Amino acid sequence: MTMGPQWTIIGDGPWGRALARVLAANGQRVLLLGVKSSRHKLPDGVSHTTDAERALGASERLIMALSMADTEKALEGLAPLLAGHHRVVTTARGLSPTTARRASEAVHRLTCVRQVAALAGAADAEGLRADKPGALVVGSPFDAWAREIQGALIRPHLRVYTSADLAGVELADIMAHILAIPVSIARALKVGAATEATALTRALAECERLVTGLGGQRGTAYGLAGLGVLTTLIFEGVGEGWRIGQALAEGDLETAQGIDTELAHGAEALAGQAARVGLEAPMLKAVAGLLAGKFDAQQALDALMRRAARAE
Amino acid sequence: MSTTFQTRAAPIFQFNRHREDIQREVSRRVVHELATFGGLKSPRSYQLVLNDAAYHEIRRLEKTPGASGARLAAWHNLARRLGRMDATALEGELEDLACFYVSDVVGNFDPRVYRFASKVLPVGLGMLFNTTDRTSGLTSMRDLSERIRVEGHTEHVRGLVERGTLVVVPTHSSNLDSIVLGWSLVAAGLPPATYGAGKNLFSNPLISFFMRNLGAYRVDRRLRHELYKQILKTYSQVLLERGFHSLFFPGGTRSRSNAVEQHLKLGLMGTALSAFQSRVSRGDARPIYIVPVTINYPLVLEAETLIEDHLKEQGQARYIIEDDEFSKISRVTQYAVKVMGLNTNMVIRYGAPLDVFGNPVAPDGTSVGPDGSVVDPRRYLYRDGHPVVDPSRDREYTRMLGEAVGAAFLRETVVLPSHLLAWLLMARERRASPGLDLFALLRTSSGDGHGLADVYSDATRMKAALLAMSAQGRLQVDDFIRDRSPEEIVDEGVRTFGMYHTRPVVERQGELLIVGATKLLHYYANRLEHWTEDLSRAVYDEGDPR
Repeated sequence: MTMGPQWTIIGDGPWGRALARVLAANGQRVLLLGVKSSRHKLPDGVSHTTDAERALGASERLIMALSMADTEKALEGLAPLLAGHHRVVTTARGLSPTTARRASEAVHRLTCVRQVAALAGAADAEGLRADKPGALVVGSPFDAWAREIQGALIRPHLRVYTSADLAGVELADIMAHILAIPVSIARALKVGAATEATALTRALAECERLVTGLGGQRGTAYGLAGLGVLTTLIFEGVGEGWRIGQALAEGDLETAQGIDTELAHGAEALAGQAARVGLEAPMLKAVAGLLAGKFDAQQALDALMRRAARAE
Repeated sequence: MSTTFQTRAAPIFQFNRHREDIQREVSRRVVHELATFGGLKSPRSYQLVLNDAAYHEIRRLEKTPGASGARLAAWHNLARRLGRMDATALEGELEDLACFYVSDVVGNFDPRVYRFASKVLPVGLGMLFNTTDRTSGLTSMRDLSERIRVEGHTEHVRGLVERGTLVVVPTHSSNLDSIVLGWSLVAAGLPPATYGAGKNLFSNPLISFFMRNLGAYRVDRRLRHELYKQILKTYSQVLLERGFHSLFFPGGTRSRSNAVEQHLKLGLMGTALSAFQSRVSRGDARPIYIVPVTINYPLVLEAETLIEDHLKEQGQARYIIEDDEFSKISRVTQYAVKVMGLNTNMVIRYGAPLDVFGNPVAPDGTSVGPDGSVVDPRRYLYRDGHPVVDPSRDREYTRMLGEAVGAAFLRETVVLPSHLLAWLLMARERRASPGLDLFALLRTSSGDGHGLADVYSDATRMKAALLAMSAQGRLQVDDFIRDRSPEEIVDEGVRTFGMYHTRPVVERQGELLIVGATKLLHYYANRLEHWTEDLSRAVYDEGDPR
């Protein structure tokens, strides 16, 4: 096999290693950048380094496989090493807990890099490792860069789509993961298909409203990053949002709060942003309130159903 | 003000020597670039371009009363022949048309006129404005120049003149902008810049003479076909490549609403990136610097026409206004004399320069990233070790540059007493009639009185809010607002508004301020539209009641 171009993945955790495995399987060369030397066995074509200067000098194609908070920290540290030819794809979901920025906004605010893409969708490290069917969407207004990422990641079992709407893809993705929570609660409380359907349609409407209201384009919420992710989580009953919903339905607030703190932060930060620009976001507010322990699952669901009794 | 050695060495002084060469290069490139049209590379593309030009020109000439019948016939004739022409004939036809349009556009620059005009420009302006009463015109203009303050990062920009090519991008409120801005370049010790001015501005022969000789080229905004657009873009790009400092109004047309422009036209700005790219590919490392400038008028010459147009068309502006205040010399003179009587200045503020990717530029000419490290702008064009042409990537770069320029426009906007007063009174009107839509508000608020004491107290809070925003670098506050009491600021606003417009915007009657021309009040208040939400909170402790 001819060797493809070089990629650097920043972050050598399970998600970074899973992405490295996919790239290597497509004949790309990969350098994983970690903080400490790695004990994991790496596939052919994948090497590991702790030397950031080497990692960024080796490749202009960079994947940030870090949580939102770590993405911002890493960008601050790497900024002096980055140059105009570097192209970055972020994979962190949500908003920064300290600055409420999306990952792509953090890249623009902290570094000189212009060509940024966001990777979103319903695929996790475990799924990628097990070659489970999955789908991802690459959001970037830089068309050539989006298609380059698409070409490097696409596999028979992993479908990869592109979208020009970077902000929309990031927002729809985080919204879908948050809005899986109320649907998950409805399922756990066994309130019936009609209520679940109401929760789902309201969730989608809210997703579209927030995506367009906060800088995304119309329709992105109904694409893979929004509707696609939401339905995958619901049909398969997977993901952090789903598990949070189940825990909340059982009244186990402590477990719910501990499952994914970034999702909880995201719900709160997004609810705040929505309020600032005058967008209605009852579901986001309900989720934020639930995770803050202000009311329980049944009360939240009742409140939402009462709201639903008006024109659609 | 005398010209410095630096400005005399500016490339535009060599323009006449290169004119024919530039004309040839523009025509040649346009013909070459139009060999592909809509992605097609075949002789058919010339056919499509010519057909597009004929279609638009026939439509335009048919609608224009008094248009030349011979030209219309010539276009009809071309449209008929197009289908039967072979590749050579099509190319020849396109070359002829390109040459015709290029020579129509290309400017003239006479160094003698420039030197004359820059020494006596305030006086020169006087001659433009007042040809009948020369004595008083001259005096009023000399004083007018004292009413224009040039401030901001002028020294920073001056330091870059020898290192690269400047693209000055100002906000656009008035047809006086290019003249006033040309004067500010001289006052700031900056070299002259070439710019595209609407052909309608050349209708006054005297103004035309000066504009041409100060580096203006002619843009006929009635021509909407692809060939002409391509010629304008290519001309601008070739000038930049050759190092001619340039000036574009990125807002496209004058701001109808008076809001600080945020949706910028990217076509011409994109030529800065294309020119830079072309230089890099030839190994020419001279940077191109974007210089955002705000032009802040206490009163705008054409305010009445502009706001009328804005409200009537609700955003769908008449593209060209040919019959506004600018075309009436007496009105321009009246304006100049009135502005002179104000205690506040019109302020031309130079922002910090940017590179063509929107990065800030240090005084030594290097680009700087958000973390303070040096950025090499050439690297943005590289892929796998080589500069690569990628139009879709470059469109996105230009969009980002547009955002950076828009943000600079906001940061460098200078708030004047008339803006402060207009915003306050509009906010008070809105609060008095919550829920009323704008048009109803404008219809009903004329004649409303506002207690002077209340306005003073609002102005006290507004001044504090503006100073706080200015400390955060969100906008600039004029010295008059900074140094004077809220009472003096309001009084100066009232004086300003009573001065020039056919109907006073606001008048004082005893202890009341009476609203007069509501549309104009709305127009001047719009200058602060971007900050309305925060100002409402600061002044009235609540959100905008809209």
